[in-house]
Amino acid sequence: MKFFLLILKNLRRSKLRTTLTALAVMVMVTICTEMMTILFWVHQHVHTQASQSKLLVSERWVAPSCIPARYLSLLTCQEGVEDWTLWNLYTGFLDASRQQNRKGFGLATRPDNLIAMHLGLEKLDPAAVEALKREKTGAILSADIMQQMGWKVGQQFTVLSSSHPNKDLRFKIVGVLPPGEYTRNFFFREDYFEEGTGNKETITCVWLLLRDAGTARRVADRIQEQFQHYQPELKVENESAGVARFVSREEAILSIIELVAGILVLDMVIVLSNSISVATRERKVEMAVLKVLGFEPLTIMLLVIAEAMLIGAISGFVGAGLSWLCSTLAVHGILPSRIATRIFINFPIQTEMILWGAFIGAFVGFIGSVVPAWNARKVKVSDVFAKIA
Amino acid sequence: MNANPLIVVEKVAKEYARGSERISVLRSVNLEILSGDFVALIGPSGSGKTTLLNLIAGLDQPTRGRVLFDGLEISKLDETRLARWRTNAVGFVFQFFHLIPVLTAYENVELPLLLLNMTARRRREQVEKVLDLVGLTHRLHHRPGQLSGGEQQRVGIARALVTDPKLIVADEPTGDLDSVKSREILDLLQSLQQELKKTILLVTHDPTAAARARRVLRIDKGALVEERTSPERQRRALRPVAGAPG
Repeated sequence: MKFFLLILKNLRRSKLRTTLTALAVMVMVTICTEMMTILFWVHQHVHTQASQSKLLVSERWVAPSCIPARYLSLLTCQEGVEDWTLWNLYTGFLDASRQQNRKGFGLATRPDNLIAMHLGLEKLDPAAVEALKREKTGAILSADIMQQMGWKVGQQFTVLSSSHPNKDLRFKIVGVLPPGEYTRNFFFREDYFEEGTGNKETITCVWLLLRDAGTARRVADRIQEQFQHYQPELKVENESAGVARFVSREEAILSIIELVAGILVLDMVIVLSNSISVATRERKVEMAVLKVLGFEPLTIMLLVIAEAMLIGAISGFVGAGLSWLCSTLAVHGILPSRIATRIFINFPIQTEMILWGAFIGAFVGFIGSVVPAWNARKVKVSDVFAKIA
Repeated sequence: MNANPLIVVEKVAKEYARGSERISVLRSVNLEILSGDFVALIGPSGSGKTTLLNLIAGLDQPTRGRVLFDGLEISKLDETRLARWRTNAVGFVFQFFHLIPVLTAYENVELPLLLLNMTARRRREQVEKVLDLVGLTHRLHHRPGQLSGGEQQRVGIARALVTDPKLIVADEPTGDLDSVKSREILDLLQSLQQELKKTILLVTHDPTAAARARRVLRIDKGALVEERTSPERQRRALRPVAGAPG
């Protein structure tokens, strides 16, 4: 603590350089936190949150899957099934421009157990579900779509269907999905789907909720066995496997994200290392004076490292804090929906990321300052003063 | 002045390597400095003054021979132990002051005390005491850039004194000052020696500055000769400087 003032004052030595270094770290931490959020989200869904006791049943060989509706009763009456729901996919354009970025992916489902059967809808307002139960044409839309289209709850809209030609459906907005999970989706009632499209024969997929993971495995084996000679044949996987399958398709993109995050961290290390090296070189005489006054080589080394870690931690904290602020403002609709802000809506930054930002900054500061600090440690007093003389 | 030697330099040699060539800067130097003495070390540039000063102050290690400070062989200490020793034993005054520009006069003087196990209150008392001693209580919160050269050197002297060391080493302390300020600084060093009984080792080119010392040593081509000793010292008939080869 005694040396804190000295470290702090050293940062004020070259305000321009400190500011530029801090800005560089801030920008990179901002990008890093968003990338970490995406990777964290994927990891959490594949490995942690995705329930092992929920099964996803779809058609084995065809995508998009098309299960005969008559299978439904055979699937849901399996012993151990506690609850179930279904999805029917209904895609289309949200306005007449028919631009790709105006596309929405509707999921026709049961409204009564909407929250219980869908991961990520835990924070959905129950009033929206109640409204969906009352309103046959009701739809609950993602915050992203709502912002992009500038729609409000209570408003009506028409989807120009691309999956069901000439079966455009008109909906009434009854609620907004919590941010994070379903970014370009909207949920609506299965009975309205059947009525509107006339499709009562097929289902895209069925979700089964089982008592526990063991039951889920047994039921999955039983369904595979029972339906192996049916046409079409069925595929059963648990929810995490379903997410993993999605992820595996996007694996290349995720690898790129990981690589870019790694490069950014390395870049931060270089920027900070360079800045600290310059600062240390400029202060060689001061380092020598500190040694003369009795500062041990290790203390001098720690002072340099602490200085870099402090600048890194502060910049990281501010950078991640700004990302969190932008994300929060975007999620609450205060920031307009643009390409730049949509990522914040799709992958909202959690509050704890601010601390992670500070940690990343401090870590980068530590790595980046090791070499300059080691050089400062080795400053030879007699050589420095001989050069001055 | 105490008759016991504070510093004993025995057959000290210092060589540097320049490529394959060995350059001898000091050649078998012997020296004793009594506690409370005021010694000036003079000599032309490159004669080895600062090298000897560095060896006595524990900033460098001799190639041969040994340096004892108050009975402790400092030439055997490693860098870390030397640093700890310096905090308490030696105060340094530099030609170019070498104050930390981002710190105030007060903070610059407080710096060596941060290394000691002292409460903030004790540190404050000590810093204010030495700044009062050098007449700078009105400039406590000024940064070096806001002080004159003479004032900066006073801060440098206060910093050297703040840990209450036995030895004050001053390397050309008036080299960057005008004659009036030089006189003030030399008066101050002299009063420290007389009133606080500090041992002062002054390296200088300036004969006027050297004249303030009780004892003047000349170093030339790595060898040391006694140039002038005060009558008092002569009476004590202490061992003269010896050992310069040739």
